[in-house]
Amino acid sequence: MLARERQRRLLGAMADAGIEHVVLYGNAWQGDYLRYATNFGILEGHGIAVLSCDGAIELFLDSATEAERAESEAPENKINFAADIARAVAARLDRAANRRLAAAPRRFLPSWLADNARGFVLEDATALLDRLLLHKLPAEIAALRRAAQMADDAYAVFREAVRPGRRQYEIVADIEAYLRRQGCPDNFMIIGSGGTDVLGMTPPSERRILPGDLVTTELTPAVEGYFAQICRTLVVGRATAAQRRAFDVFREALAAGIAAVRPGATAADVARAENDVFRKYGLGDYTTSKWTRVRGHGLGLFCDSKPHLLEDVDTPLTPGMALIVHPNTYHPEVGYIVLGDAVVVTQKGAEVLCRTPRELFEVAA
Amino acid sequence: MRRGLISYSKAEMPDAILEARIARVRAAMCVAGLDKLLLYTNNTRPAGVSWLTGFVPYWSEALLVLCRHSAPVLVAALSYRVKAWIEATSRIAEVMHSPRIGFAAAEMIAASKADAAVGIPDLDGLPAGVFDDLRKGGPRLVLSDATALFAALRPPADPTEIALATKAAAIAQRALAQGLPRANLGEIIAAVEAQARGDGAEEIYVAAAPDLRRDRRLRRIEGDTALGETFALRASVAYKGTWIRVLRTLTRDGTVIPQAAAAARLASAVAQLPSAHGFAGFSSWLVEGCRIAQPLEPLMGSRVGTLHQLAPGALVSVQAGLEIEGAPLLIGAPALIGNHGEAASLLVQPF
Repeated sequence: MLARERQRRLLGAMADAGIEHVVLYGNAWQGDYLRYATNFGILEGHGIAVLSCDGAIELFLDSATEAERAESEAPENKINFAADIARAVAARLDRAANRRLAAAPRRFLPSWLADNARGFVLEDATALLDRLLLHKLPAEIAALRRAAQMADDAYAVFREAVRPGRRQYEIVADIEAYLRRQGCPDNFMIIGSGGTDVLGMTPPSERRILPGDLVTTELTPAVEGYFAQICRTLVVGRATAAQRRAFDVFREALAAGIAAVRPGATAADVARAENDVFRKYGLGDYTTSKWTRVRGHGLGLFCDSKPHLLEDVDTPLTPGMALIVHPNTYHPEVGYIVLGDAVVVTQKGAEVLCRTPRELFEVAA
Repeated sequence: MRRGLISYSKAEMPDAILEARIARVRAAMCVAGLDKLLLYTNNTRPAGVSWLTGFVPYWSEALLVLCRHSAPVLVAALSYRVKAWIEATSRIAEVMHSPRIGFAAAEMIAASKADAAVGIPDLDGLPAGVFDDLRKGGPRLVLSDATALFAALRPPADPTEIALATKAAAIAQRALAQGLPRANLGEIIAAVEAQARGDGAEEIYVAAAPDLRRDRRLRRIEGDTALGETFALRASVAYKGTWIRVLRTLTRDGTVIPQAAAAARLASAVAQLPSAHGFAGFSSWLVEGCRIAQPLEPLMGSRVGTLHQLAPGALVSVQAGLEIEGAPLLIGAPALIGNHGEAASLLVQPF
């Protein structure tokens, strides 16, 4: 049902723009454009869909294993296995070469297919798709709400899983198993543990948890392809006064960022509200790219969607957008701290989806 | 995105092995008259760069610039804050960071030789944005496709690659052994993933055919799914950059099924590879392996025909469907294609 709603919306946008065929690329790193039209969550190889203005979809996959999976999971599409996917799609597009064609995201297309030497011209439809990906339908928001609930529940499991002596990858294994048990097929997750030596989060390592560690995680389960994120930090043992003082800055920054989320504000306004709190406490340096990547980002069919919350991103916020606001960065006294909640932009401001308290949690040492 | 263990072990991936692989590439570059070789990597096409350096991006993308004489350079879109992680999980002497990896790599190459001959495996499949930036960063660079050059270098698999594949297969086997008895399919998949990730898998994808008598196609499971009497589970497992698949048929109530007979037929068919004759009695079959950067690329099978000749000594994963005594079974395991007149053989028993 949700997939059909998305497809109707995309067809409407194509009609408005006068586009007759849109070419959508996806892989397991960034599969949101492809999933939007096909409802297929690609895991291996390249996937390219050709959506015609009459609603017909042909999905080309260069993995035979994935083609079989797509036939089972997304049977509404015509599935084509194509070892040379670029030439197979080109042969399809040659039949429509005199029509208006566009592609998204064009920068990810195989270079041979995007080459202007082909017998067709592919306009860039990335902005058109981005608008649809940014502004969610009510059913998309409903899926995000369920994903946020899953994130809350998984973080409760995370708190139980963190114990001295356990290795980071063993903790992540517990979370992944929990999510599969709940029927959740996908998650993006990174982790950090230690003290002032830790500059960020990464995939799990063999490092064992030690008493006194700050343990950070960004946990991002997906429901029907929609990723919702939660960021929290815990201490193994009792938190020190310095850790509590530092955490209070992050809590204030998150509250300020969420308060700035409202229609008419921009992504930059939210980032600035978060960063102003750090600047107030003399920590402005730690809001720069040397120490932190973004101050939050969009959520949806990709776990790191647009817009990025940065002080130079002027994307206006409108109702129906979903974001994670996270003032994650390094604190010079105690190390890397994360704290973030998924929110939806409503007419009245931010609706916070995460229910986990914004606490510096403590687990037994 | 990867969320399993990504780590680097000199015991499992000795420096000498990586040096030998790089030396093979450099020798081929000299013969082909290439000044540089550029290898693209992201988390769906990591195998070329990980074969030479051990580096696996958990997300984002990078280009490895391989020179004839100096150490390889990784140009990564991952930010500078991840530099220490890259250095800890791979064998790369120098890492540059740029959101425009094509532009930065081309500029670097052009700075030493504006019209350098640059070979790129899978040039046609390079993301258009990266390709455009290569042109902008080094307008006089002579870019050429190096797919055939690179594909010829990988086989035969060296002892390190075989050991990593065997370890990955052992992880998959142990994980699939957790499949029963469980209350439902979600519990089964959770147990399989917990075991594999707890054993140090870099990644695992579990696919299921929940009721083999209704549908033999394997899919990723979301939400509740009813389990038939006979079902199949496939574990696609990565361990330190090496991917394999193991596929097994199970019964809900533990009824014995002719796994040994199926495994014997699979082993017999595999022994005849690269000939497809051994699969004549199978309802479906597929052989996948790594040639360039995609870890498990289709090579030959009932649906795809013969796309690429199986190279002597190459590592592959084989999946097949068959019927025994009227019952459908799916089975699969990694295999090593024979070299020097040896028959191909399964790396592990698939049950």
